[in-house]
Amino acid sequence: MRKSRLKNSQSTASAGFTKMAAAGIQLHPSCRARQEGFGLLFYDCRGPRLLFAATGTLLPADYYGTVRARDEFPAGVSDSQKQALQKFVTQLLEKGFLREQ
Amino acid sequence: MSNKYVEMGMRSPVNLTWEVTLACNLRCSHCLSSSGEKACNELSTAEALDLVEQLHTAGVFQVNFGGGEPFIRPDFEEILAACHSHGIMTCISTNGTLITPELVARLGSNRLVAIQVSLDGAKRETCDAVRGDGVFDAAIQAVKLLAATRIPTSINTVLTTQNADEIPAMHDLAKSLGVSLRVSRFRPSGRGADNWESLRPSPSQLIAFSDWLAASGDVRTGDSFFSLTTQERQGLGLNLCGAAKLTCCVSPTGHMYPCAFLQSDRFEAGDLRTSSFQEIWDTSEIYASFRSLRIHSCEECTRFDQCHGGCPAVAWHLKNDINGGDPECLERCVTSIADNQLKEAA
Repeated sequence: MRKSRLKNSQSTASAGFTKMAAAGIQLHPSCRARQEGFGLLFYDCRGPRLLFAATGTLLPADYYGTVRARDEFPAGVSDSQKQALQKFVTQLLEKGFLREQ
Repeated sequence: MSNKYVEMGMRSPVNLTWEVTLACNLRCSHCLSSSGEKACNELSTAEALDLVEQLHTAGVFQVNFGGGEPFIRPDFEEILAACHSHGIMTCISTNGTLITPELVARLGSNRLVAIQVSLDGAKRETCDAVRGDGVFDAAIQAVKLLAATRIPTSINTVLTTQNADEIPAMHDLAKSLGVSLRVSRFRPSGRGADNWESLRPSPSQLIAFSDWLAASGDVRTGDSFFSLTTQERQGLGLNLCGAAKLTCCVSPTGHMYPCAFLQSDRFEAGDLRTSSFQEIWDTSEIYASFRSLRIHSCEECTRFDQCHGGCPAVAWHLKNDINGGDPECLERCVTSIADNQLKEAA
């Protein structure tokens, strides 16, 4: 039983880790972001190319410097803002500014 | 590219050109800064490292190092390392003659380095006529060394009347070496002004290049050809001059200018020995004038939305009028050829 539980426990932990890793997103190593008056300015040195995001102060510039879940946003963001940010994150992933970990 | 946000003004440049020294072992006839001997009173190592700190604080994403030949500066790798310690991307424009396997090995360990090796012709004689005897072979050797690493490497070619017909071959050469091609605009500054008439591409060459560029999406231009950009390349880069809006230039002596092609007293934005980088960026009247620059004489042009009047530096050097509109834009090239045909017909 103990062994089995442990096995189950490991399995659950492993599954949880896998799920979290697949959903984790982070700024691409070739990209940078900084705060501007309109929101965030993303820079991809591979182009180079820029992306201007009118996010205001919703997202800190260093927010995706660490791995985040796809649906994770700063505290205090409203549901409608979350919806907009989710679309924005999808766009950043498509354009290569963010990448899944 | 959102012009709306660009015109709102950035809190600091996205990238900048830093000419770290005027010293160069070559005397290229098109050199924009008349490089050769080291300038008097170039920034010391301590001053250069302090500037890196300021660039980091300002949030500058990338520094494009040029000169002169950057690798002539004994402390250049120290300056690079300081940039990299802050995550600042660096792109080095070099003539390639000082690139050694040891240097490449040191640079190759860093993912924040990109290198452009200057080469001004697909044929040895074309390149060496501009850059000096033996330079073609040295540059090719440097490209081969760099191509064997993970350093993003490009061949950088300044478009002149002599090499205009070789640009497709340059593209093939770059591909065969496993690197990309970047073509830069020849502008009449530095020795380029002295040799302008003998090196400037003709209007028909510029139009042919514009057509070729439209079909060559992988060729980069550093946004120097937006005045010639066709619809096909819209969206690949800027459609207006980025000077003082997205970029600026720092000279070897620590003076700041809107761009590398306007390094004269008339366009000096400030001196880093007396003011901070951020202070100059925020308060320079020269920078303010570039941010509000509108080329009204071009507003009726059908291509205005594609180039917004083109390069003010070329307008300044050729017409002494920063507001005058780019004398070598695509529209004016077409008009110039049409005028000549009419004259010949008459």
